[in-house]
Amino acid sequence: MTNLPVTSESFTIPVGPLHVALEEPMYFRVAVDGETVTDVDINAGHVHRGIEYLATKRTLAQNMILTERICSLCSNSHPETFALAAETIAEMEVPERATYLRVVAGEVKRVASNLFNVAILAHLVGYEALFMHVMQVRELAQDLKEAVFGNRMDLGAICIGGTRYDLDEDTITALTVALDRLEPEIREIEKTYRTNGSIQRRTRGVGVLSIDDAIACGVVGPVARASGLLQDVRADAPYHAYDRLPLDVLTLPDGDVWSRAMIRLHEALDAIVILRACLRDLPDGPINLGSDPYVPPGRAVARSEAPRGELLYYLKTCDAEEPERLKWRVPSFPNWDALTVMLSRAKVADIAIIVNSIDPCISCTER
Amino acid sequence: MSTQVAVILSVLLFPGGLFALTLGLALKGVDRRVAARLQGRVGPPLTQPFIDLVKLAFKRTMVPTTACEPVFLGAPLVGVVSMLAAAALVPISGLYTPEPILGNLLVVLYLLVIPGIVLMVAGSSSSSPYGAIGFSREMVLMLAYEGPIVLVAAAVALRVGMAEGHVATFSLVEIVAYQRTHSIFLLDPVMWPALGAFCLFFPANLGIVPFDIPEAETEVLEGPVLEYSGPALGLFKVMSALKAVVVLGLGIALFAPLGLSGAPALLGWLAEIAVLMVLGVTAVRLSAGRMRIDQAFSFFFKWPLLLSAASVAAIALV
Repeated sequence: MTNLPVTSESFTIPVGPLHVALEEPMYFRVAVDGETVTDVDINAGHVHRGIEYLATKRTLAQNMILTERICSLCSNSHPETFALAAETIAEMEVPERATYLRVVAGEVKRVASNLFNVAILAHLVGYEALFMHVMQVRELAQDLKEAVFGNRMDLGAICIGGTRYDLDEDTITALTVALDRLEPEIREIEKTYRTNGSIQRRTRGVGVLSIDDAIACGVVGPVARASGLLQDVRADAPYHAYDRLPLDVLTLPDGDVWSRAMIRLHEALDAIVILRACLRDLPDGPINLGSDPYVPPGRAVARSEAPRGELLYYLKTCDAEEPERLKWRVPSFPNWDALTVMLSRAKVADIAIIVNSIDPCISCTER
Repeated sequence: MSTQVAVILSVLLFPGGLFALTLGLALKGVDRRVAARLQGRVGPPLTQPFIDLVKLAFKRTMVPTTACEPVFLGAPLVGVVSMLAAAALVPISGLYTPEPILGNLLVVLYLLVIPGIVLMVAGSSSSSPYGAIGFSREMVLMLAYEGPIVLVAAAVALRVGMAEGHVATFSLVEIVAYQRTHSIFLLDPVMWPALGAFCLFFPANLGIVPFDIPEAETEVLEGPVLEYSGPALGLFKVMSALKAVVVLGLGIALFAPLGLSGAPALLGWLAEIAVLMVLGVTAVRLSAGRMRIDQAFSFFFKWPLLLSAASVAAIALV
């Protein structure tokens, strides 16, 4: 900080790489004039982990484990999309039951992930009581994951050709009971965010991304939908069982921090509707195609809707057991660029709130 | 006992000094514990603020190479001294009457400005950009809440002064004595707007949510005190503990001094302080999020100013 002289109202402040408000390492060099941001320089690359290289040294089955560890919050989306790519290459027909089970795993993760983000929003505006409450409600989702999958974060639910877990009658009942407890709580939280003065004051009209800017930046997921862009991979290119499930894609016109939080809460509620439909319509049959199905040489691109938006995987297999190339584009990557637009002329007080509103996942992005 | 000895004892022992510090830290402990329980957490032990202070006392104070060292280390000392003096100035009804030589309500108000100035000086002397932002926020916030609090003081002074036949009385002793013989201002409808303004002033003065803007952890990483560590940071904690007692004690002296004396007076006063802490600090900081500095500024120029002015006008007209 020694090279940042404080001579007038204009100076540069470092936000990150380690900032209390941002749990992960990202660095913004922010030029401010008084309380107003005049310029933002976004720096990435603080923790390059070399996982893409590592993936080419592992077999496909091992990569299921590896990709699950790219990120904790969307830990199910990575192996899920990786499996979709491998299944496309092998032209596998995933059993019907497995497609529903995959949706269950994905949507449970979505509920927990979205609640986590809106909780952090409350923390950033200094509303600690709300933060604690939302985290306690999220804990219900965590318990649910632990009860069904045996784990709170990494579910280990997916394998190439199907799923590794099955639901019996008892688990389905437990899941239904848990969802019944969760739903009114999330509705209550949604109402709080919709009506509470403190939240409204700090989030409405803050970090606005217009629909034109959203298209220009190519944003995805809740960020795009909050700016009025109707796009959701689950609806646009249905995978798993999504074409048979009641998916309700909401868009909001304002493109501010509040809209993004509301979209996330709506999707958490919608996920519960989808989960209930899955449990109701769950077909009988096998859950996978046996251990380690053969994947021939080939190339494929697969995409899915992670809690943060479109997750895209490119997989190239060869004669060896290890893939020749594995690459993924995470939703935080395109959304990240839009921060430049959102942060222009923002207040210093709002920087962390705006950054959090894209729900940045640095461990995904800095793979 | 000579006046000098009484003054020194009141500043260092009771009701300032050791007593105020212990009370301030205990109140902080109560605040944290109650807040935790309301949030469904266990919370830290009641003695946590004392433990923190002892820990800080044994740590090393780091001074940034770019900081102006004498100012950097001197600022918290000035803050603590000002609050020690202020604590000795606030009367406790039926128990403690400050020596007239110490000063009156206006001196308390002046002394209450010093911690804010100390934070500003500390922030700018640390040469951290976050400190600089904290500096400007503290300044803006102070400008916003000082107007209303002066009007609140004027309302109380006018109310007592006009009732006793002169224009205004700024002597806290007389203000307390008036309320002991007549009714407390808490029950006086003319004073309610001023009381409302005071209730909005003290979260801002104590720097709690929604007005913890200069030190906002998630925005400016504690702002002015970012670069402080060890005993120097401990001094800031001492300062804010003393300040809590001064501001809460002032509120009680201005609006609700009890008509007791002796040991019951002390217990009553402690109970009042504890209630004010839980209702005015803990409940407030749990029920709202932080304002932005521009929002806080316009807020103070609207409600507290209007309320305190209403009281002054009502007293002048009645």
